[in-house]
Amino acid sequence: MDFTTLSAQLNASTIIPEGIIVLTILVILVGDLILGRSSSVQWSPYVAIAGLLSSVASLFFQWDVADPIAFLGGFNSDALSVLFRGIIALSSAVTVLMSARYVEQAGTALAEFLAIMLTATVGAMFLSGANELVMIFVALETLSISSYLLTGYMKRDPRSNEAALKYLLIGAASSAIFLYGSSLLYGLSSGETRLGAIAASISSVEDLGLIIALVFVIAGIAFKIAAVPFHQWTPDVYEGSPTPVVAFLSVGSKAAGFALAIRLLVTAFPLVADQWQFVLSALAILSMVLGNVVALAQTSMKRMLAYSSIGQAGFVMIGLVLGTEAGYASMLFYLLVYLFMNLGGFTCIILFSLNTGTDEISEYSGLYQKDPLITLALSICLLSLGGIPPLAGFFGKIYLFWAGWQAGAYGLVIIGLLTSVVSIYYYIRVVKMMVVKEPHEMSDAVKNYPQTRWNLPGMRPIQVAIVFTLVTTSLAGILSNPLFTLANNSVSRTEMLRAAIAPTPTETVSLDTTAQ
Amino acid sequence: MQLEYFLLLAAALFCIGIYGLVTSRNAIRVLMSIELLLNAVNLNLLAFSNYLDPAGIKGQVFGVFVITIAAAESAVGLAIVLSIYRNRNTVDMEQFNLLKW
Repeated sequence: MDFTTLSAQLNASTIIPEGIIVLTILVILVGDLILGRSSSVQWSPYVAIAGLLSSVASLFFQWDVADPIAFLGGFNSDALSVLFRGIIALSSAVTVLMSARYVEQAGTALAEFLAIMLTATVGAMFLSGANELVMIFVALETLSISSYLLTGYMKRDPRSNEAALKYLLIGAASSAIFLYGSSLLYGLSSGETRLGAIAASISSVEDLGLIIALVFVIAGIAFKIAAVPFHQWTPDVYEGSPTPVVAFLSVGSKAAGFALAIRLLVTAFPLVADQWQFVLSALAILSMVLGNVVALAQTSMKRMLAYSSIGQAGFVMIGLVLGTEAGYASMLFYLLVYLFMNLGGFTCIILFSLNTGTDEISEYSGLYQKDPLITLALSICLLSLGGIPPLAGFFGKIYLFWAGWQAGAYGLVIIGLLTSVVSIYYYIRVVKMMVVKEPHEMSDAVKNYPQTRWNLPGMRPIQVAIVFTLVTTSLAGILSNPLFTLANNSVSRTEMLRAAIAPTPTETVSLDTTAQ
Repeated sequence: MQLEYFLLLAAALFCIGIYGLVTSRNAIRVLMSIELLLNAVNLNLLAFSNYLDPAGIKGQVFGVFVITIAAAESAVGLAIVLSIYRNRNTVDMEQFNLLKW
């Protein structure tokens, strides 16, 4: 059997986007080896971005494939996974933009950093489409192990070491717990590893084993999306690791976790749908309350954003537990706008810490007189995260809460509204610190603020990232229709979600007939 | 031999692993406890594969993947422990308190 028939049989064309990124990794590694480190600093970020963007471009052609199932059921390239893979690749591209200067200034090798970052991206993209337990595990570990390495990348910095060790130990333990749950699933389904087949073969049994498997699996997923009470690693890791890595963890890795959550819970656990929706609503409420309340007390910008990202994950989980079409679509829409506003915020923080060397919130006071660009971009991104109209985050939240209200999850929506009011307070505090302070109240870091030198290598990409995220965050609110349509189409084209949502309309129809 | 015995052994091993994870102060011992957890999973998979899926043996294949990835994970773990030892001269978990809320 020759290669073309084999790849046609396996439907291998569905993983072209991942293939492009793997090729990019090889080009960067080999090129770095041959041409030397001093020249690879110049070209490797551009190669990485070109690879990621062409991967996003090739995802467009995956949107309408007739047969999304590939590799004998191991990989599912339906519209949902395509959208998630796009979010992950795009977030990785923006992260590469902001990391070039940061890694160089820290005096570490850039090409290896990019190679590990792209490996994490490939793992996350495979995870969004993985449809089989072995595949899920391998993709999850590819993402996790690369994330541990990235977290500990500043190896001379004890804080980075400590963050990496904590992340590794907690992460490895949680993936072992996840794995124990999936081994139970394998046993309960008497030897099936594909998610659809698992659900089909345990349709008759509803016993304690399934609940235990569900709990273990949810613990593994909740670690990945940093939901309370599995969030303890988040603030430590976010504070200790290099800032571009934090940006990737808070968007790319989290999106992959949500993709895994949707696919695994909806496909493999339809029998206990009420139970997992209940558990996840509890996690969502805890995340929203604890994330947003503890963020009030933080003094470090990175720690504050860590807790804010826990709270944001809580908002996204509202969409996950509703189980309606609008719920899934609003969740995707929120993840899309969250990508731009969160990465924009992180880019500004990176630029500020490159210029001043600090991440403390109090050091930002009076910044608008010295650097209006950071002040504007950071203010817009933070206000958007808080949900101030007419920015993108406002429409994302409105859509989520509207979907929740339609589905009758009043408690979740009310808690979401209250906690987003709390969150506005700590976002505004930073904005006020930057904008309102008089010249004599300026912090020392801002007093000695250097003129930003855009001509240094790696500074242009940061400028591009700031302007790009700033423009998208401000415009995606008013012109949100394309993103909105994208999220809706992706849900309505996905077979797995259609099958899960289908019971609701028939139920209402049968209610109508009994009423007559 | 019954399937239950294997599952009980695996569950016991898993609990020992969790206990070691929670109580150990030495980072190397924590890594060893994680290996215990993964090996408990392997036992589970192999038992299920032998008793319930003798034709497909997907569980054994899964086991090979788990072993491979456990090796990668402990390699990364030991590398991180080594670099933290160079900077701090200790592998005691209680001493790692630079990051706190």
